[in-house]
Amino acid sequence: MTTLEHKPANSEGRKDPWSQLLQKVGKNQDREAYHALFEHFGPQIKYYAMANGLASHAEELVQEVFVSIWRRSCLYDWRKAAASTWIFTIARNQRIDMLRKMQRTSAEMPIETEDLWQIPGENENEPVTSLHRLMSERRIRESLSHLPEEQITVIAKVYMENKSHQMVADELAIPLGTVKSRVRLALNKLKVILQDQNV
Amino acid sequence: MTRHHPDSFSLMEYSAGNLSEPHALCIRLHLNECPQCRSRVDTLDSLGAVMMEYQPKVSVSENMFDDILAKIDGAPEVDPSIPAVKKMGPLEKLLGEDINKLPWKRQLGDVSVLDITDRFPGQREQVVLQKLAAGGKAPAHTHRGEETTIVLQGSFADQKGVFNQWDFVVLTDQDEHKPVAVGCEDCITLSVLSAPVKLTGTFTRMLNPFIR
Repeated sequence: MTTLEHKPANSEGRKDPWSQLLQKVGKNQDREAYHALFEHFGPQIKYYAMANGLASHAEELVQEVFVSIWRRSCLYDWRKAAASTWIFTIARNQRIDMLRKMQRTSAEMPIETEDLWQIPGENENEPVTSLHRLMSERRIRESLSHLPEEQITVIAKVYMENKSHQMVADELAIPLGTVKSRVRLALNKLKVILQDQNV
Repeated sequence: MTRHHPDSFSLMEYSAGNLSEPHALCIRLHLNECPQCRSRVDTLDSLGAVMMEYQPKVSVSENMFDDILAKIDGAPEVDPSIPAVKKMGPLEKLLGEDINKLPWKRQLGDVSVLDITDRFPGQREQVVLQKLAAGGKAPAHTHRGEETTIVLQGSFADQKGVFNQWDFVVLTDQDEHKPVAVGCEDCITLSVLSAPVKLTGTFTRMLNPFIR
């Protein structure tokens, strides 16, 4: 899709330390590396669970996420996603799964969480390993601190508090259009919007 | 290549894991066939990771890591959620058979429908498959609330344009449309309705394929 994908590996495309650790877990079942990942991401995931209204299940979610990380680590490919992105999507899916299990009335779920929300890099049909994905995480991290607080607040509510843009608007008592324009400004700044004909 | 894509807000809510299951299914089906949106979701997933990192951290209990080790040592190595056999697509899994051989309910005219809301227990929206016979016309209608649609087969056209397979479209109560199936295939769509549609044509009473 973009020219970046065809560039040879350079320093920007190299593995970050977390991705190196995750790869060690996947390849060698390295428990020291696993522990280092736990020390770093465990407290983040616990906050994520609490912010999402799973306070009484927060530690349970952290456990589920780490068991899942261990078991799937063999599928992790650092060229397809940075470790933190991969771990975020596992936390997201486990959170969705936990809520679905709490809410369901029958034993059968016709469609599983992973049929709806995919973990990056696990699509075997994905032909290109794209460096721009890895770089985009770095770029986002660097530019996030320059965003106005009001934009970060809105995005944090969507990602951390499981709220739709409409719910964020209701909570902040501002029009939906204002919420959307804050998101749009932020995404433009973070260059998340590559091409966006529908906005 | 699809030409009508979900907007960034829907993709963000998808990436954040906030969409209802039927809405997530529409996005997922589109992503399967759209590298451009897939790449945008990858980037949004990275935004999620950075947001998680940006938040306060909460210390975990001292013995949690040991508990996790006990779990991974006590359980089978293989994650049951990683199937050994080739994965079925979400649609195949959901509908179980050839989409053209489903027990379609013929409505008046060229429209057939199949309500699959019961495949999504606990979800609030109505989920329907709609089939417009090749060359056929659907009655004009507007929507109360929002209707999210993905084209599963064939193409349809309305005043907004032509929608081909895997195109994604959201209609609101502002949109009145009168879709026509174009091409030589029946057009099959999957729609998620937050509220029933309202017919605007003269046959309102008789022709209401979408309200039950």
